[in-house]
Amino acid sequence: MEALETFIVESTVPEEGEAYRSIVSDIISELVLGGAIGRIKVVIRPEDSLFQMAIILRGSQKPVKMSDFAQVGYGAIERNEVKITIDEEKYLPALLEKLWARYGRASIIQPERKTLVIRQNEDPEKEIAFLEDMVIADPKQTLQSRLVEMAIRTTPEGFRVRYHSMKKNYFVFVASEDILKPEWIEEGHRMLAELQEDK
Amino acid sequence: MPAVLEPYIYEGGIHKHTLITELLEDLGGYLIQKVPAATEVMLTMLIPRDDVHLIEDLGKKLLGNLTKAPLTGTEIAVVSPTLASHHLPHSACDIAEYLRRDGANTNMIGLARGMGRRVALSADYERKLINEHDLAVFAFGTFSDCIRNKKPKLLEGIRVPKVVTGGPDLKTEDVANADVYVGNIGRVAHRLRRSEELNSLDNMNRKVGEVVERMREEIAKDPLAVLPPRVMKEIHEQIPQIEYVLSPAPITLQLDGLRVKLPYGEFHESIGNLEFDEGIRLSQLSRITPSKMKNYILVKIKRESEVGFVI
Repeated sequence: MEALETFIVESTVPEEGEAYRSIVSDIISELVLGGAIGRIKVVIRPEDSLFQMAIILRGSQKPVKMSDFAQVGYGAIERNEVKITIDEEKYLPALLEKLWARYGRASIIQPERKTLVIRQNEDPEKEIAFLEDMVIADPKQTLQSRLVEMAIRTTPEGFRVRYHSMKKNYFVFVASEDILKPEWIEEGHRMLAELQEDK
Repeated sequence: MPAVLEPYIYEGGIHKHTLITELLEDLGGYLIQKVPAATEVMLTMLIPRDDVHLIEDLGKKLLGNLTKAPLTGTEIAVVSPTLASHHLPHSACDIAEYLRRDGANTNMIGLARGMGRRVALSADYERKLINEHDLAVFAFGTFSDCIRNKKPKLLEGIRVPKVVTGGPDLKTEDVANADVYVGNIGRVAHRLRRSEELNSLDNMNRKVGEVVERMREEIAKDPLAVLPPRVMKEIHEQIPQIEYVLSPAPITLQLDGLRVKLPYGEFHESIGNLEFDEGIRLSQLSRITPSKMKNYILVKIKRESEVGFVI
């Protein structure tokens, strides 16, 4: 599935749907969701105070382990040191957080930009095996929170009654100012089904 | 008969800009606001009509430029349904910024419960605050159904002229209670900078300018007992504490009065005792009341018909 291969925004008055599409696309780019969303359909009926959105995400990314972006090896053997060489700096803050929590700030030394040295007393071999499997970042987690943020920002203001359903890569969101009618939620799920068929 | 004053904005370098303010004083004009920004300065001023060319020539010599600012001396409320990210910073702040370019002083007002359709409402305090301004610009959204049927109730109880902006292209008659409707400025999530967006903002400034012009004509029929800029000048000369007010516009001019940003309790008497060369005190010429905005002082100047003379 391509990124944003389907992007439909409909409203009772077609020009207003077009205007709302620009708002939705601004919000998607602001939250850097462009690459994560495969298909999206939004239907707004202002006269019913109703906002519906169905999204199919592109396959979710796996959690990032230390071995995916760094090499873990021996430092000074006589002092049981472990040395980490990083290829991708974008995970460094998350990595440091985890290491500080485990070993304490004083035991982590960063002699230069892409190298970390850990001073510790355990058997280095075991530590290396453990560190290689350590999960550093989970893109799925941040994706979900950005998706929720997007849903809230795109909804017209004041539509505080909300329904949402997130199953695997499928997201349905319905919001209104009044009590949600069951048929609106069903309609939201039908929109999702249509998006799924549409190949 | 006082000289006819015209509003202008001068933008140029800060070097030697005092020559302009000195000349302005000699000509009998008024400096309304001075905004220095690093090496640049922006002067908002009222210049006697016959002497505009003198300032213009001096401005050219100093490599600055003088442009007409039709909204000078007005205080405009830019009202958005709430202060949530749905309206700010775009488009409500863009609207306010564009009005300021024409010389207006703007205040952003976000209603506490202005969002939504059925639930939208404004509080008595908010209406009173908006009524203190010369004019209110309401920034509404994208849907004609909301603007036509639901949002006009936010305009109820506002006695000053109301300009409504929104996305769809509607007629003014479609929006109950509105004095002017300006389209193509709806809810957006980006800065308004495409040419068609700027065109609609220009259009808005023009329409607001027309409303202000009508209000000025209305006032000219029964003129104010004293010009607000003159009161401003006297406050600067007689109440030294105004120099310590850090707000960008310590004294904000309105078409028929001014807002003085000093605490009411401490200063309303000295404002009332302000004396003019003619030997008249300000309290004889105006109503001095506490403003709904913070603890400021609101001065509304009486008309000739009420006072019996004009100074």
